Amino acid sequence: MNRKTRPKVSWLALLFIGTASCGPSDDAATTAETTAADGHVPTVYAVNYPLAWMAGRVGGDAVEVRLPVPDGVDPAHWQPAPETILAYQDADRVLLNGAGYAGWIRFASLSPGKLVDTSRGLDDRLVPAGGTTHSHGPGGEHDHGDVASHTWLDPTFAIAQARAIANALIDLAPDRKTEMVERLNVLQAELTGLDGALAQAFSGLPAAGILYSHPVYQYLDARYGLAGRSVSWEPGQDPGEAGWQALAQRLRERPAAVMLWEGEPLAATADRLRGMGVEPVVFETGAAQPAMGDYLALMNENRHRVASLELVNQEDTH
Amino acid sequence: MRDVLYLAWRYLAFNRWKTAILVAAITVIMFLPLALELVLERSSERLRARAAATPLLIGAPGSPLELALSSLYFSGEAPAGLVYSSVGEIHDTGLALAIPLQLGHRIGAQPVVGTAPDYFGFRGLPLADGRSLAITGEAVLGAAAATSLQAGPGDAVVTSPETVFDVTGTYPIKLRVVGVLAPSGSPDDEAVFVDVRTAWIISGIGHGHEDLADPGASGSVLKRDGQNVVGNAALVQYREITPDNLADFHFHGDTAGFPISAVIAVPVDEKSGVLLEGRYQGTDSGVRIVRPAGIMDELLATIFTVRQYVLAAVALVAAATIATIALVFLLSIRLRRAEILTMTRIGAAPGRVAAILGAEIMLVLLASSVLAALLTWLVTAWGDELFRWVLLSGYQ
Repeated sequence: MNRKTRPKVSWLALLFIGTASCGPSDDAATTAETTAADGHVPTVYAVNYPLAWMAGRVGGDAVEVRLPVPDGVDPAHWQPAPETILAYQDADRVLLNGAGYAGWIRFASLSPGKLVDTSRGLDDRLVPAGGTTHSHGPGGEHDHGDVASHTWLDPTFAIAQARAIANALIDLAPDRKTEMVERLNVLQAELTGLDGALAQAFSGLPAAGILYSHPVYQYLDARYGLAGRSVSWEPGQDPGEAGWQALAQRLRERPAAVMLWEGEPLAATADRLRGMGVEPVVFETGAAQPAMGDYLALMNENRHRVASLELVNQEDTH
Repeated sequence: MRDVLYLAWRYLAFNRWKTAILVAAITVIMFLPLALELVLERSSERLRARAAATPLLIGAPGSPLELALSSLYFSGEAPAGLVYSSVGEIHDTGLALAIPLQLGHRIGAQPVVGTAPDYFGFRGLPLADGRSLAITGEAVLGAAAATSLQAGPGDAVVTSPETVFDVTGTYPIKLRVVGVLAPSGSPDDEAVFVDVRTAWIISGIGHGHEDLADPGASGSVLKRDGQNVVGNAALVQYREITPDNLADFHFHGDTAGFPISAVIAVPVDEKSGVLLEGRYQGTDSGVRIVRPAGIMDELLATIFTVRQYVLAAVALVAAATIATIALVFLLSIRLRRAEILTMTRIGAAPGRVAAILGAEIMLVLLASSVLAALLTWLVTAWGDELFRWVLLSGYQ
């Protein structure tokens, strides 16, 4: 044996570790997989509503889908309690959005084998978020989170995520594969329809110029070629005079007729925007479970709002 | 007969030092082979059991024995060279559950084992107190580690620095203890378990500090160059991971390329295990797959070969000792010629004198046998504690 590779273990230590060790649990090897074959309905946890919705649509009653994010909390910035993370540990699969979404995942102790990154293999479709890098110590320059994360706002990306979810669910309940594939096909058709409808709704907007109240619409922007720009305004807060001045400067550089908001902006904010020739439009991301309806209904409401706006813009341009 | 035993006993008691030396010598000769056999038997059984319960081990190319000893018993140098993406690659095969192990750090004498929640289920390690690992910065202690570190849920333990004199090395990290495992009688009792990400932070791969992009952090900024902010020496890195500063912790680079020491692969079935072995063996993947049971069998075969030599040496020493003892008794008879003559003159028959001398030898042998049996029982009952004490005393 090579001297370098010789383990530095004394005979006494070897005897000790042998004496101190004991037999493991006999059922250890059986923990690898839990399937529906034993009558147990697999539990699937998701990190946001679109994933939970797609899992529910594809899985039907073959799986139990859970989204433990409290009402009114943005899943992207949620920090679950340790007990909730332990519940995620007990799940049969954990659906991740990928693209750096839900930062708490980075610091949660979860079994790698249970994680399903629904954006995996879609690196070429990820949209840069843009951020600040920093340097300190010998590690050199680095940044924290460099891609946008609200992937499902591009319905074609959502379709790819739905396929990843379907594969994971079929793996859990292979005996229900046929019905899950059928449901996936229906879901894909619906999302494809949504994609076409959104494309039509947004078709007149690029020329008019578009602003986003928050940098969460990158995938929507990329999919429909909107070439919009983001500010960081909260719907329930006044942006402040500095914010308004910065916006005025932006509009001088490049005019915009529409600003998309995650939620209803303050009335004063909406009025002042209109005074600047910018129409505020609510386009909810659907990251959290909507109070009514589902993901598709929410996106169609968004589409209706944009589509009705399109007519106004077209009238203006005439 | 009682008078014979009484006179023999009185003689041995009067010559107590000579008797004690004789008893000690014979006890050692009786006890040594018994104890060696017993300890080796028990050690080999338990080494085999732990190895047999670990179907496959995957690590970087190198010594398979070192890989097995460090991954199964947290002993010796931690192997390096494997990257975290290996875990995902094994999962992707669909052939096995992959459990990462990141080793090499210590808290006092206790090894720190970075792993995933699957490990506890795989080894069958229930909690005696508290809860399991949930967030980076938490630790679950093995039963013996909790006793040794005098810590339990709610307490904190601090990792040991890599080297005392390395001022540029990684800083100790304060870990919150959230649970203590029930005793398992295995090396897991001695370990401090953390999430693999916590192990990376202990290694210095991940760290936390105030957000340099925040205007409030201007005191820690050396310069701002476009989208890059350069920190200065005033930038303080966090030593403890708390819910308040958790968001400020981050890793440099893709975690897929981060180091791990080994992966325990638990195949879905025997066929999957063989297929998994086939995927890694004979390839240039930079990964080695081993069956710990086979490695431990090889190691034990070597140990048992050595045992034969040790037993032969003990037999030689025993023969020499017995010859010496026989000589001692014979010389003793010569030295006691006057005493024997006196016994004959006061009426003791020659047979009576021989019986007294024989009784003396029998009493010495009896005392030695009882003592050897007692020592053997002690090894059986307290061997684990005894070896633990001997081993840990080396760290103090």
